[in-house]
Amino acid sequence: MVYDQKVGCTRRSHNDSSKTTEATYCPVGQAHVICMVSDFFYPNMGGVESHIYQLSQCLIGRGHKVIIVTHAYEDRKGIRYLTNGLKVYYLPLTVMYNQSTATTLLHSLPLLRNIFVRERVNIVHSHSSFSAMAHDALFHAKTMGLHTVFTDHSLFGFADVSSVLTNKLLTVSLCDTNHIICVSYTSKENTVLRAALNPEIVSVIPNAVDPTDFTPDPQKIRTNKITVVVVSRLVYRKGIDLLGGIIPEMCHRYPDLHFLVGGEGPKRIILEEVRERYQLHDRVRLLGALEHRQVRNVLVEGDIFLNTSLTEAFCMAIVEAASCGLQVVSTRVGGIPEVLPEDFIILCEPSVKSLCDGLEKAIDQLKSGNLPSPEAIHNTVQSFYTWKNVAERTEKVYDRVSNETVLPMNERLERLISHCGVVTGSIFALFVVATFLFLMFLRWNTPDSLIDIAVDATGPKGAWSHKYSCKKSRKTMANAKSGSSLK
Amino acid sequence: MSPVLQSSNPGAYTDVTWGQDTTSSPDPVENHTPWKKVLYERQPFPDNYVDKSFLEELRKNIYVRRYSYWAVVFESAVVIHQLCSVCSFSVIWWYMDQDLLSPQKLCGFGLAFTLLGYLIFDAVDKGAGRKESGRTRWRDLKSSLVFVAFTYGFSPVLKTLTESISTDTIYAMSVLMLIGHLVFFDYGANAAVVSNTLSINMAIFASVCLASRLPRSLHAFTMVTFAIQIFALWPSLQRKLRAYTPRTYTCVTFIFAVFSVSGLLSISSVGALLFFLLLISVTFLCPYFLIRLQLFKDNIHGPWDEAEIKEDLSRFLD
Amino acid sequence: MEGKVYSDIHGEEIRLQQHSYSDTCQEFTVIRPKISFRSLTGCTCAVWLAAYGVFYYTQHSAVLSAAILCTILGLLLYLHLVKIDQESLLLLGSLGLQKSLTFASGRESTVFLEMCRVQDVIINEAISMSRVHYNLCILLRDPADPQGPSQVIPVFQGSQPRLECLVEIYRSCQEILSKRSQ
Repeated sequence: MVYDQKVGCTRRSHNDSSKTTEATYCPVGQAHVICMVSDFFYPNMGGVESHIYQLSQCLIGRGHKVIIVTHAYEDRKGIRYLTNGLKVYYLPLTVMYNQSTATTLLHSLPLLRNIFVRERVNIVHSHSSFSAMAHDALFHAKTMGLHTVFTDHSLFGFADVSSVLTNKLLTVSLCDTNHIICVSYTSKENTVLRAALNPEIVSVIPNAVDPTDFTPDPQKIRTNKITVVVVSRLVYRKGIDLLGGIIPEMCHRYPDLHFLVGGEGPKRIILEEVRERYQLHDRVRLLGALEHRQVRNVLVEGDIFLNTSLTEAFCMAIVEAASCGLQVVSTRVGGIPEVLPEDFIILCEPSVKSLCDGLEKAIDQLKSGNLPSPEAIHNTVQSFYTWKNVAERTEKVYDRVSNETVLPMNERLERLISHCGVVTGSIFALFVVATFLFLMFLRWNTPDSLIDIAVDATGPKGAWSHKYSCKKSRKTMANAKSGSSLK
Repeated sequence: MSPVLQSSNPGAYTDVTWGQDTTSSPDPVENHTPWKKVLYERQPFPDNYVDKSFLEELRKNIYVRRYSYWAVVFESAVVIHQLCSVCSFSVIWWYMDQDLLSPQKLCGFGLAFTLLGYLIFDAVDKGAGRKESGRTRWRDLKSSLVFVAFTYGFSPVLKTLTESISTDTIYAMSVLMLIGHLVFFDYGANAAVVSNTLSINMAIFASVCLASRLPRSLHAFTMVTFAIQIFALWPSLQRKLRAYTPRTYTCVTFIFAVFSVSGLLSISSVGALLFFLLLISVTFLCPYFLIRLQLFKDNIHGPWDEAEIKEDLSRFLD
Repeated sequence: MEGKVYSDIHGEEIRLQQHSYSDTCQEFTVIRPKISFRSLTGCTCAVWLAAYGVFYYTQHSAVLSAAILCTILGLLLYLHLVKIDQESLLLLGSLGLQKSLTFASGRESTVFLEMCRVQDVIINEAISMSRVHYNLCILLRDPADPQGPSQVIPVFQGSQPRLECLVEIYRSCQEILSKRSQ
């Protein structure tokens, strides 16, 4: 998978609008121009990032035009092109906390408006509720009268003050959004409750894994040694404290058991202490941070995959592990019970005892040898979640959304005040009015007609790959150096 | 402790919030295979299908405790005690400041009460706590002697320590510190602001501030000793009394409250009235409100909650 | 004045003149509108009126002389450093590229790039302030690594023509550059 084939310049073919090329090559339905917005994108690594990338690629394959907007990551700023002419805008916005940008609901409007206009965007698709930029984009898109879709990737509680506040903001942000996508049914229930939504505008579309990336190792030889693999960030939410209890317990029970832990984080110290305390240096290996492409090679070294998460909306890791043919032991939290059928996963309560019992069961099954072969597991699991399927289902959401009307200004204000409570509603209604006036000013200052329409580079038939192919060869050579590797 | 208002019925959420009948959602395609809450199967339902089982696992208020009124009133005695301690401390200081109470007398009374308290402290649990902590009487005597000697030695310094600071600042600081003492005191709540050390330190700081405004260094010494007795020793005796003889504890609270209100009465009748009202509202009104407001509690739980680790995992590390 | 009329990204009218000296030698000149007498008078009047207002309250005649000095200095600096009259790019197929800037005061600044250092001419997209726009750039070759570009030099930065105009220039540039490589 080539994530990043940066070419820092654009070759102009001809002057017509980007849409004309698309309409002819689109296989089904209408072609949309979709703008994915999130603070989280490559070179940052994670579930949201790969979701956006893979979904965009599949949508481009289906004939839509997709662009991605995110904030600048250190030296990665400006505009870049990835595989298939997927255009990424790295905007110069200040990062505040945890890779999320600071927001005033106003300052990003000129830039986002410029992008929406020049790319002729008609659907704005924001990702992740932790991303301030995603909410900003939704807000501005609604002011500009564009259709909006939001994907929520995470679960949130209702107990503490911070969640009360974030949930209120989510209510404001989603009350006039056209459609919301959640990654699991549990996530849908959670989002519906958090943002007080009508469940009918919330669709459930799971994540997917690339089955070709996660294949079992055919050369693997079965030995007596049993390896338990853990691949996750080493943070509290992933239940690393539990893992610190499981390792000595299981190593005590099974002298031929080994642990392989991939990932980095603040809780690494706990695992190191456990290893030190019980003298398990030869049996517990801590690999540190892994690159995405290394994950498969780590996974196939093991026989059992252990997931100790305390909360999880979907959990890609267990699907990836199952796709590599591993037996999965996981906690029964969040959306995990929905992800894999019972023959592939052993679900446990989030406690050391229950997880140890689960592991014991998995080891027994492994030793008795009545498990299906890794290849058989892989073949079944790879049909569960594919990006093609995700893209098809997301496309349906786009089709539906593009036929809906965007709320006009007065209705939007009314919705805000009636839906979000009088105080919050009024405050944000004020913001809506302010953004609207700001937008009027911008339209007066730089009319839409003065903004150049961007060259469409997307897709196999886009301006990118075909036109000027004779010159292209020289040009690619010229730009070979500018492609930088993925961090 | 039993859960109240526990309901598995999410009705309030499915109906009120969007005011629509959720069953009118897009119908499943002809065949009536039941919908399953799984993601790995392609089901003949649209992605935004809302099943009847939607929000079935929603639970409300499962961790809410039911309070009985008199139990809460009893618990409020801790607050009363602390309020009264602060009140009597201020009253005694005022008496000393006006030279109505000689330091010798206060010292004598303090010593007598401390000895009495010390005996009761051991008598109440028949020496069980002492055996457990392994402290000998000799050590107690040693530390109290060291403390008294130090305070006595440093009292002239205390006296002159704050001379350069204006009296108003000293008063304002003392009031702030005493309020801080009340805020951070460990009333038994499991909250982040609770800090016993901070609370005691603030009270001692207030006492040092106030003591420096007294006429002589002996006064200052008495005041600081008294502060230690009332803010540090007295609460630990209270805790023991509360645990072993609740009835005596209630009586002691009552007597203490009467004494501090009457002490305040001898200085200012309006102040005494206000303080009395404060005590009454803390004891009777606040518990009433607490129980009334419980009815409005609306806590949502479900499978999306972050799981709690209930075991003690530190055992693996020691 | 002949030449095609385009507009810059602020909506102002600009002219593109294309001189073809030979097959491999072309010059593109973007001419910006002359400074308008009306806006000049407007600005000056505004400053003077403001100065007179201040003078009315402070009764300090230095304010007036300062205002006069300010306008004159401001105008000089504006004409000399900011206001661009024309910008041109001269392509000599065998020799190199020359980009030059002429300010309203007549000051010229010229940069010449030898052909062996020039790798390509491209249209680039850039984010500046709160807008995204296209500009024409020259890619320079890195002497150490002949395969990759070492530096990107933007041209027509002062006049900021729109894409339409850039494409026109770009096409001709590519024609000449392709002849060079043969």
